[in-house]
Amino acid sequence: MFRVLQKLFAVLPYLYAATVIVIVWQLAVVLTGAHESLLPPPLDTAETFVSVLLSGELFLHIGMSLGRVLAAWVLGAAVAIPLGLAIGRFPLFERLVDPIIELFRPISPLAWIPLAILWFGIGESGKIFVIFIATFFPTILNTVMGVKGVDPVLIRAGQVLGCRDEPAIFRKIILPAALPSIVVGLRISFGTGWAAIIAAELVAAQSGLGYLIADGMEILRADLVLVGMVAIGIIGVSFDSVFRAIHRRYGWGGT
Amino acid sequence: MSEFRSKSLHIRNLAKIYDTASGERVYALDPTTLDIDPGEFVTLVGPSGCGKSTLLNIVAGFVEPTTGKSLAGDEDITRPDIDRGMVFQDYALFPWLNVINNVSFGLERKGVPKQERNEIAMDYLKTVGLQDFATKQTDELSGGMKQRVAIARAFATEPSVILMDEPFGALDALTRRFLQQQLLKIWQEHKRTIMFVTHSVQEAVYLSDRIVVMTARPGRIKTIIPINMSHPRDFKTDEFRDYERRVYDELDEELAKTFDLETDN
Repeated sequence: MFRVLQKLFAVLPYLYAATVIVIVWQLAVVLTGAHESLLPPPLDTAETFVSVLLSGELFLHIGMSLGRVLAAWVLGAAVAIPLGLAIGRFPLFERLVDPIIELFRPISPLAWIPLAILWFGIGESGKIFVIFIATFFPTILNTVMGVKGVDPVLIRAGQVLGCRDEPAIFRKIILPAALPSIVVGLRISFGTGWAAIIAAELVAAQSGLGYLIADGMEILRADLVLVGMVAIGIIGVSFDSVFRAIHRRYGWGGT
Repeated sequence: MSEFRSKSLHIRNLAKIYDTASGERVYALDPTTLDIDPGEFVTLVGPSGCGKSTLLNIVAGFVEPTTGKSLAGDEDITRPDIDRGMVFQDYALFPWLNVINNVSFGLERKGVPKQERNEIAMDYLKTVGLQDFATKQTDELSGGMKQRVAIARAFATEPSVILMDEPFGALDALTRRFLQQQLLKIWQEHKRTIMFVTHSVQEAVYLSDRIVVMTARPGRIKTIIPINMSHPRDFKTDEFRDYERRVYDELDEELAKTFDLETDN
């Protein structure tokens, strides 16, 4: 009983946020008297949401978008984590690679879209490339931070407990000590990747939430645009809380 | 029973000079020679910055001496080794492992099979009275309990030498006394050579076979005071207080020097 209540309280902030948004939205519709094709009222949008949901169309778009983000995110992690571990552990390597990363970091994933199209065309790989850029930096920065943040006394403790060489110290001390920070990086990068999906799918996509939104704009269906936005918000929050739960479970303390 | 496994320590003309980032030379440790018998409990006391931790870190193999060398038994010390355990002031428990896995970490590295290492770890946890906390996470423990786990962890691999760097420095006075008793108990059960750094004269007299008093920086050995009292020792006896007084007399001379040095500058 208590647990059910606790869960309920955990959802409360989101319910509150949703309520505020719907009220402000409804007020905006009433006060501005906007045309339905520009700003449909919440109820109409909810109807569209349900119909797109029931027709299965929404699931298709969500599935396509999620697939792209997951692929890019895994790819990003596969490059960023090993690179971050090496940068964090070897100062010489850091001095070689860090300036390059810092130079690329301020460039928004959006700025890569033209090159992505030139290089990869309008297929899947171009979209995945843009999201890859978005997921790469949070993962690598948090990995580096995690490795550098390992308390030196833990490394010494490992050494007097039989970690004789660098690989042993790395595997038994550095990696587990840095893991919570790496998980945070993965959580944040999934968020940035998910946020970049629209940009990635704006160009020549035939499916995905970004396509839904772009298409809605072209055929003057603001309700479809809003359905796409709402879906992005819900999926984003859901994944973030799943990651937080994983972190609480395996992150040995901290949030 | 396991006494034959503990090793003597030999410190031969060991000195350490640091070059700081600003190009200054710091004479942390003047040439020092010291021999410690197998199974002996030796404590280093001295003013802050007298190089006692430096000496300990050299014997551990973390720091290279500028000149001289140190030996465990007849082997040169060149690097950290599982045969020389260490207990750190801030516990240095692995937060990603629970209590028993912290204690059995070194046994795993030695290749002891899982069931056996769990039994050994449990035995040592019993010795420090924490058998009921075996599956707890380390962040659920108090500071005193953490240090007991760290002590169990250091003894569990059966090293021939255990180095302790102000292990009870961060604990309150009562917890500290309790841990001193536990350390004596586990040391009497599993005789190891112990090199112990502390700021507490009372702690040194309570625990040690010999107390090494160091001079102010640059540190070297000022005098060595053997403590000829049987365990358990009582803080309140005249004999105990006489020993304390002797150590304080030596230390006060050094403190006065440090003070003069600082006021001269």
